[in-house]
Amino acid sequence: MRVIVRTVSELFITVGTLIVLFVAYVLFWTGVRADRVMDDQIDSLQQQWAQEPAVTPRPSASPEPPTPYSKGKPFAIMYIPRLGFTWNKPVLEGTGTGTLKKGLGHYPGTARLGQTGNFSVAGHRRTYGDPFKDFPRLRRGDAVVLTDGTTWFTYRIDQAPYRTVPTDVEVIDPVPRKSGYTRPGRYLTLTTCEPEWGHSHRLIVWAHLDSTQPVEAGRPKALRR
Amino acid sequence: MTYGVSLVPWCDGRDGMYGWIWRHLPGNALFKGLISIVLVLATVYVLFQYVFPWAEPLLPFNDVTVDNQ
Repeated sequence: MRVIVRTVSELFITVGTLIVLFVAYVLFWTGVRADRVMDDQIDSLQQQWAQEPAVTPRPSASPEPPTPYSKGKPFAIMYIPRLGFTWNKPVLEGTGTGTLKKGLGHYPGTARLGQTGNFSVAGHRRTYGDPFKDFPRLRRGDAVVLTDGTTWFTYRIDQAPYRTVPTDVEVIDPVPRKSGYTRPGRYLTLTTCEPEWGHSHRLIVWAHLDSTQPVEAGRPKALRR
Repeated sequence: MTYGVSLVPWCDGRDGMYGWIWRHLPGNALFKGLISIVLVLATVYVLFQYVFPWAEPLLPFNDVTVDNQ
């Protein structure tokens, strides 16, 4: 009898410790790690951009198709002033689990940054640095600013977050039906999970391209304090 | 793990999994304590480095896309 009690209590203590450690890992350690990785991604991007200074003379005669984004690699930095003045995250190509640990993920097959179509990006709401933790605070008129090293793209959000189900792939269509857009244009879609810690729904935000400017012209107005 | 109905009370650490480990560590109590700390740290390291990263994607926090790719 005593052996059973002892074994069971030791098991419980062990399992309890494991659970506490795991919670600490999910809540705290993934964030610590992700912040470090995302900073590395941004640093490598900025280094890369510094090394190839504006190689886009844009031969107007033959606009050759741009090289596709390489999978799992960062290609842009996103700024959303509403989520914090210092909020900036790398955008990587692909929405795989491993990619989303390093930053926001661009849905392959959706439009390129700034092009006609729907530039769609997914990000974690919780864990891995909580990039989209304050997603529900986004409002109509908020700026979503991106840069690819040569151009600043300022998108403007058109409505408060829209709640939908995970199978609703229509939201990343070139002209998403429920967004209120009727004509083809240069759109942006952000997706994250809803509720905060669950996976039963998704939150969606749509924006349209408001303005662009070359990086030489300095930071866009939305990013100036 | 040698279990058996021992007459020794549980509190002097002569039985159970942790008691068994304690008894098999070499040296005096101080040295045993040091080794125990190292063992605990090693376990936590393995958990954080290998076990938890494997287990975490099984939870729903990763589902942030609309097409589950």
